[in-house]
Amino acid sequence: VIAQPLPEPTQQPPRVLVVDDEPQIVRALKVVLREAGFQAVAAETANEALDLAAVRPPEAAIIDLVLPDLDGIELTRRLREWSEMPILVLSAVGEEEQKVRALEAGADDYITKPFGTRELVARLHAALRRSARAEEEPSIVVDGLEVDLASRMVRRAGEPVHLTPIEFDLLRALVRNRGRLMTHRKLLTEVWGPEYVEDIQPLRTHIARLRAKIQPEGAAGPRYIVTDPGVGYRFAG
Amino acid sequence: MPSPFGLLLSPNPPSRRTGALVALVAVGLSTLIVYPLKHVAPVGSLSVVYLPAVLVVSISWGMWLGYATAVLSALAFNFFHLPPTGELTIRASSNWVALIAFLVVAALASSLAEVTRARTRDADERRREADLAAEMARLLLRGDDLAEALPTAAARLAHTLELSSAAIEMDAVEADERSVAFPLREGTTRLGTLLVGAGTSEANLRRLQERVVPALESLLSAALERESLLGGVVETAALRRADTVKTALLRAVSHDLRSPLTAISAAGEAVGSPSISQAERQEMAIVIQEETQRLSRLVDNLLDLSRLEAGAAAPRRHPTSIEELIGVALGELSSGPEDFSLSIDPDLPLVNVDAVQMERAFVNVLENARRHSGGHPVSVRARAVRSLAGSPRPAGDRVIVRIVDRGPGIPPAQLERVFEPFYRAGTPGGEHRGSGLGLAIARGFAEANDGSLYVESLPGQGATFVFELPLEAAGAEAGADESTGLAGASRAVRGAAT
Repeated sequence: VIAQPLPEPTQQPPRVLVVDDEPQIVRALKVVLREAGFQAVAAETANEALDLAAVRPPEAAIIDLVLPDLDGIELTRRLREWSEMPILVLSAVGEEEQKVRALEAGADDYITKPFGTRELVARLHAALRRSARAEEEPSIVVDGLEVDLASRMVRRAGEPVHLTPIEFDLLRALVRNRGRLMTHRKLLTEVWGPEYVEDIQPLRTHIARLRAKIQPEGAAGPRYIVTDPGVGYRFAG
Repeated sequence: MPSPFGLLLSPNPPSRRTGALVALVAVGLSTLIVYPLKHVAPVGSLSVVYLPAVLVVSISWGMWLGYATAVLSALAFNFFHLPPTGELTIRASSNWVALIAFLVVAALASSLAEVTRARTRDADERRREADLAAEMARLLLRGDDLAEALPTAAARLAHTLELSSAAIEMDAVEADERSVAFPLREGTTRLGTLLVGAGTSEANLRRLQERVVPALESLLSAALERESLLGGVVETAALRRADTVKTALLRAVSHDLRSPLTAISAAGEAVGSPSISQAERQEMAIVIQEETQRLSRLVDNLLDLSRLEAGAAAPRRHPTSIEELIGVALGELSSGPEDFSLSIDPDLPLVNVDAVQMERAFVNVLENARRHSGGHPVSVRARAVRSLAGSPRPAGDRVIVRIVDRGPGIPPAQLERVFEPFYRAGTPGGEHRGSGLGLAIARGFAEANDGSLYVESLPGQGATFVFELPLEAAGAEAGADESTGLAGASRAVRGAAT
């Protein structure tokens, strides 16, 4: 699905910390991740994971929400205290609230068990790309959509698109964090300010208008801005 | 009531005949006392000596006997002491005055005594009614079960009011020839009926109607309201518990079903990757097999639990060999030879159980023991126990199976909790955490088969799960067993779920 250029063969493959207390899952993930060009480092507990990450920081982490010692949310928070590495959390249906809390604690994305490993690898690549873009980009071009952050211009297939300031700020927040699932709260804080974190309804309205303006002709379903029901939005591209 | 006045004012004086006798004796005594006194005081003033007699009689037996005593006193005084003595005539007019004055004073005293007496009786009645109301309030408003408290309350009412019988019914009951019925209402709503014996006196009936029934009505209405509130609380608590179980079930399904699914799906994907080595392929095959087994066991457990909770787990009991049961259970667990050490007498008598259910129970308990034994072998021992002749409640002949692990043990506070559905003892870093259902199901099945399952443990010294199973029945009760076993099963699980 994602034809991502792998790192140079001479280089060490990127290390991914896999934290799950189900050894069977870890065993299988090791093979799957190696196949995708990563090297999995397994930890069964949050404390083991913290130790491993401190000794040799991995390039990314995949963390199960349910761990025997600390939960995945706390582990995410502790890793975020000193690292910007992409973090994916594994969750199950029915753990919506923990999922949102993990994202707010700094996780980039989540994936629901049982997951297809291709989906997992794609999300991992997207998150790694996001973290690789450390410095400010003046303009972003994604799949026919051009967002010029410096001059606040948006073009779709070369045609200028007129956005209101709020719509532009929303798009900018999503685009700059592509590869990361933005929760409602995060978007509201970033665009409107921390005092508006509960106003989800206006956010929905603005997202709907923004989508309508940047949507390519004849596209079925949302093209760039993907809804994660009850959690937030992500920019797909 | 220790004071003499109290005794005099007793609401239940001796009979009227005794009263007359007391009056006669008192008048006689007074007459005798006057003789010596005549030498120190003018005889006309000595009529006062008779006053105590009149007072005593009128206080205890009422105004009319008091008047009679006064007249008798006047006659005796006249006959024995007023000159000319020995006849009922009076010569001196001063003596007329003395005699009339005595009669007037005596009559007044009698009337006053009667009023006091009535007041005392009234106060006493009120006090007893107040006591009764307090007692009834305690009985009707404190107890857990109103229906149970009613007979006691009625008995207390009958005792206090000296009724031949009393009953409080929660329905509208018609009076028959042996009883009088008082309807109890709150506004226009009929609460119930107070029935008293037909022989109840008019005064008591009036008292009941005027003072007891209104108090009883408000008490009963309060008690009914309280009961309905309590019922609501109990129902809410039950619903909340059921909710907790459902939430726990959802979580178990969510997490415990998805973990093996994830492992299987990831392993399946891994098997397809070109770079996989032969050893890894082997490993992935094992992952898939093991996780599939785990998944299917979980599904079995969920089904078992729902059957037990629905009371649909009627055991089909047949004579069964314990050795075979445990053998099949170990086979299903695909246990290594070092996982369990068996010591089962091959000559054990057969047990009368549902083989499928008990096999599931053994699988669950053995799996639990292996999981917690920390790699040490789990010891399984079985022996038969004959009940002692003459023991008060013979447990019956049975086989006892002890499953002993060498794990961390169970703290005393958790010995019963481990049998609750979805309860998991803390097993940090455990290879396979259980679903939290196995032991609840094992106990449910053991009890459905008229057996039992309990655990003995000292922390740090492992745990011993003990099955006690009934031997093959003598045949007579085979039919009855099914129904009682079924009820036992659902009861066990419901109890455990609380």
